Amino acid sequence: MALCASSFPAIINWGAASDPKKSTPFASHFLGGSDLVLQPLKKLNQVKKRPGGVYASLSEGAEYHSQRPATPLLDTINYPIHMKNLSVKELKQLSEELRSDVIFNVSKTGGHLGSSLGVVELTVALHYVFNAPRDKILWDVGHQSYPHKILTGRRHKMHTMRQTNGLAGFTKRSESEYDCFGTGHSSTTISAGLGMAVGRDLKGERNHVVAVIGDGAMTAGQAYEAMNNAGYLDSDMIVILNDNKQVSLPTANLDGPTPPVGALSSALSRLQSNRPLRELREVAKGVTKQIGGPMHELAAKVDEYARGMISGSGSTLFEELGLYYIGPVDGHNIDDLVSILKEVKTTKTTGPVLIHVVTEKGRGYPYAERAADKYHGVVKFDPATGKQFKGNSATQSYTTYFAEALIAEAEADKNIVAIHAAMGGGTGLNLFLRRFPQRCFDVGIAEQHAVTFAAGLACEGLKPFCAIYSSFMQRAYDQVVHDVDLQKLPVRFAMDRAGLVGADGPTHCGAFDVTFMACLPNMVVMAPSDEAELFHMVATAAAIDDRPSCFRYPRGNGIGVQLPPGKKGVPLEVGKGRVLIEGERVALLGYGSAVQSCLAAASLLESHGLRLTVADARFCKPLDHALIRKLAKSHEVLITVEEGSIGGFGSHVAQFLALDGLLDGKVKWRPLVLPDRYIDHGSPVDQLAEAGLTPSHIAATVFNVLEQKREAFEVMSSRN
Amino acid sequence: MRCSYGLTAIPGTDARFFSPETSFLQLRRTFQPTRIKFGLFKIKAKIDEARKEMSFYELLGISERGTSLEIKQAYKQLARKYHPDVSPPDRVEEYTERFIRVQEAYETLSDPRRRALYDKDLALGIHLAFSARRRYQYDEDLEDRSEWKNRWQSQLSELKRRSRNRDAGGNMSWGARMRRQREELSKEL
Repeated sequence: MALCASSFPAIINWGAASDPKKSTPFASHFLGGSDLVLQPLKKLNQVKKRPGGVYASLSEGAEYHSQRPATPLLDTINYPIHMKNLSVKELKQLSEELRSDVIFNVSKTGGHLGSSLGVVELTVALHYVFNAPRDKILWDVGHQSYPHKILTGRRHKMHTMRQTNGLAGFTKRSESEYDCFGTGHSSTTISAGLGMAVGRDLKGERNHVVAVIGDGAMTAGQAYEAMNNAGYLDSDMIVILNDNKQVSLPTANLDGPTPPVGALSSALSRLQSNRPLRELREVAKGVTKQIGGPMHELAAKVDEYARGMISGSGSTLFEELGLYYIGPVDGHNIDDLVSILKEVKTTKTTGPVLIHVVTEKGRGYPYAERAADKYHGVVKFDPATGKQFKGNSATQSYTTYFAEALIAEAEADKNIVAIHAAMGGGTGLNLFLRRFPQRCFDVGIAEQHAVTFAAGLACEGLKPFCAIYSSFMQRAYDQVVHDVDLQKLPVRFAMDRAGLVGADGPTHCGAFDVTFMACLPNMVVMAPSDEAELFHMVATAAAIDDRPSCFRYPRGNGIGVQLPPGKKGVPLEVGKGRVLIEGERVALLGYGSAVQSCLAAASLLESHGLRLTVADARFCKPLDHALIRKLAKSHEVLITVEEGSIGGFGSHVAQFLALDGLLDGKVKWRPLVLPDRYIDHGSPVDQLAEAGLTPSHIAATVFNVLEQKREAFEVMSSRN
Repeated sequence: MRCSYGLTAIPGTDARFFSPETSFLQLRRTFQPTRIKFGLFKIKAKIDEARKEMSFYELLGISERGTSLEIKQAYKQLARKYHPDVSPPDRVEEYTERFIRVQEAYETLSDPRRRALYDKDLALGIHLAFSARRRYQYDEDLEDRSEWKNRWQSQLSELKRRSRNRDAGGNMSWGARMRRQREELSKEL
């Protein structure tokens, strides 16, 4: 029994408990740890009652070690095929071991914990019943795929999760054949799964396709587009709706858990809590039994009506779209999961089926279960106490600065409102929400709707700030062009996570926003080079009221410049850059965070006797023509640097130089942009080096242009 | 207070409870599991009574409209006061009982969902403390769970029934046509 199994390691632990390293500061854990006082109470309660009900929120007695936990059964599983001979009881043990393995691994590397813990049983059941990789299992968003990766031959690499040259934090086709579709943005798996199902049908194959999608991802339109199409095509596939009632990220605001966003989630919860009128159902069943025989049709109709009347409005949503609804199912009960999946698997010609599975995010790790954000994304932490090892930094993140800047603007101007798409924590707008609860809108994972919604707000004279990550803005591009830019509505776009983003990798990388924003005729495009500039640009955006504007800022912390007084920026003059260092011969014109790399490169080159000019363009659109003319005319070399793809800032400068006749003279112009390939996940430093945009690279480029190849080589080989 | 005070661990006692060396308690006077264990039923009885008197809001000393910040602060204050390890030795039991009640109050009121349920109950004149509510809820949920099982079992049988007739000649959906094609091909082979 689980209780006994976990008491054993507990005893062992005490033998070593005098080890001072393991003593944990109780005081700091007062709130969370104080329920440990209650544990005898609760444990007694749980002994009496059958554990494993919905409120088994304090796991029974599992101890969390800093050393690798013992996982005898999991050690025998390298691939799903090794699971096929296990009994259901062993599967339960496997789930427990898998869970502790996930906790252990994530504690060492950081990553997405809560979501992975919620799907442990589901993963085990899926791999037990289905035969990956022939059967396709798709994981929406992919951040819950850690147990999947462990079970599919990547356990030994889990310590490299999200690091350079290590495992990706999301599913990735090039990493393993068991990852059949790359994910990262949400709500794509039903579409992809349908594509795979149809492809299978066209080829005449017989494998299964299973798409696992969360209730949060269900708020995106693409999921409905896909279900609509799936219902129409009637191809066999299984959609598993992983419902844990967490629709916004992080799954809480600052003051506690957030009730889910949107009307859909209340429909889903009604589904769960619906108490069907059993008597009526029984009667209906009795009637159909009696009719029986040749009266199939009538019986089916009766049953259908009965179900429709009784099961409420939730399941008929999916039924109307053409998916057969099964559920709700307890997502932590392996018995149930395995029997349902087996049944569905062995039924021929099911058409599309939706299995509604109810799970609990962070399940099995008490600290995660109790945390308001369910430990959605964590850095390295201590498993025994749940405390994360957050680094100490002198400055805060750009995200926080943006939120503070926006709050300051909103204090002064009551028309300012903020919109985000289920990313309250990631965009910092949870801070805004706390200050102005009526002026902050979370629309769920629906960027397209967010943009057009903002456009509607702008029509009424309000000043909407849309905070959407640079890479998620890709989803809303048509809305930006057609609904905002074409009509010249003053919507402000705050694009966080611009440029390379580190551990999340190319799926979250904001490489293209300069390109796709700056080509729009009416858009003002700007980028701050440090946090003070960010404050000013928020103010500038608030002041631009006759056309749309956008600004981009990177992931990471500020560099430590002085913030404007009262944390309120001053609007900048639109279309004017600034010169930071006056020099000669060579000019570096940076855009956004690249300016910092330019400054670093300049100091590298000082020691070689070169005094460069470094300028911050601030605006990509409208460009500071005077500044560029001045730089081009008074310098031999002009190098533009940005952390974006081709077609962005550098290209706009090139266009201007060409049209202005500046390229007909003597100046040598070179652009530095992100290379024409996707940069894999890794540490920010490694990624920048891979992209060729480090200060050393910039310095080497300068030398190369000046025909000083030897110095170029020197400066490249001397970097660490 | 070490384990020697009061009753020592009796063989057969569930060893899951804490030993004095348990590392997560760093306060000098370590917690006494066995004492609590045997005093448990007494405390529970007391709680059951007291429950009938004070609502969670009164317990925490805040108004019914208290914000979550106020709740947090009240809880922190009271928890620090009533924690068994810092309570005066002659009033440990009373304080512990208080502490547990405060703990329950905080847990219920800090979660908006549970708080909503609690407020509803309160409005109806029932004051069910957290664990009682939990038991009530738990029974409801247990019922729900068995409902769920019945429901999906019948859904599965319905699925099986439907699938028998699904690809009958009349069904012209793309998937049905492909499946018929595939069956014919495999028959030919």
